[in-house]
Amino acid sequence: MDQMEPGTLIALLTIITPAIAMVLGALAPTILEGLAVLKALDGMTRQPEAANDLRSTLIITMALLESTAIYNLLVALVLLFANPVLERILPLG
Amino acid sequence: MEQVIPQEMFRLFGIPVRDTVVSTWIMMAFVVGAVLLVRKKAPIVLEMIVDFTGDLASSFIQGPTSPYIPFLGSLLLFILFANLFGIFPVVVTPTRDINTPLAMSLVVLIASFAFTIKVKGLGGFAKTFLTPLVPLDLIGYFSRTMSLTLRLFGNILGGEVIVSVLISLIPVGVPLVMVLLASITGVLQAYVFTVLAASYIASAVGDASA
Repeated sequence: MDQMEPGTLIALLTIITPAIAMVLGALAPTILEGLAVLKALDGMTRQPEAANDLRSTLIITMALLESTAIYNLLVALVLLFANPVLERILPLG
Repeated sequence: MEQVIPQEMFRLFGIPVRDTVVSTWIMMAFVVGAVLLVRKKAPIVLEMIVDFTGDLASSFIQGPTSPYIPFLGSLLLFILFANLFGIFPVVVTPTRDINTPLAMSLVVLIASFAFTIKVKGLGGFAKTFLTPLVPLDLIGYFSRTMSLTLRLFGNILGGEVIVSVLISLIPVGVPLVMVLLASITGVLQAYVFTVLAASYIASAVGDASA
């Protein structure tokens, strides 16, 4: 650990950070999407005639909630495959 | 991972043309051919698409929706086929390149301006930029364009990356499940993109008239 080069530490961090980002970024939207589905199903069973309105609203809401997870995924992919910091530190031939 | 990143195929008058663009051309020819064939054989399918788009538009836009159906319908069909086109061998998914969703989002932005001008006139369009909240509006236009782009691109790219990783792990059989899941995501994202475009157009058209 004492002889670790700074480049190795940064490389290690850029591998660990996407994992943490994906865990947290997948956790929160899925919990909230579950809550949204729960409430929508509740409403659909209470009022089946409103099911169509509820379904379209639910799909839009879930897509909007899902997009935060997608932003996390994009950041994680950039860190893993197109990392600008790593390319400057470790000039690959 | 190399097969997920769009590659430059050739240069046309000095402009690099990626394989996603060529794939888009093939897809457009395919869609036009399919529509011509369907119009001759079973025109009711096309009427169903128009009805679906009309229902989708009428849940957001007050008043007659017929001016918006051509735009929203072509957006829906293009993104639907673009998301699903990677299933076929040889060709690649056009929306895998970030430029394709960005172009679609910019088209939605410009179309919302154009519909505002058409409904309220040029003066009405200029009046929407004469409020104290103009900076917030501009941030809103920028962020909604970015979010439309990144949502579509991220969903498709995520599916492609998962499939390519699975292919490198277990080449036979197992990636098919993820391909199916990615196709469902693609259909849903086409619907969501169109719905959000309709809601943006509705908010732009019906906003300042009240």
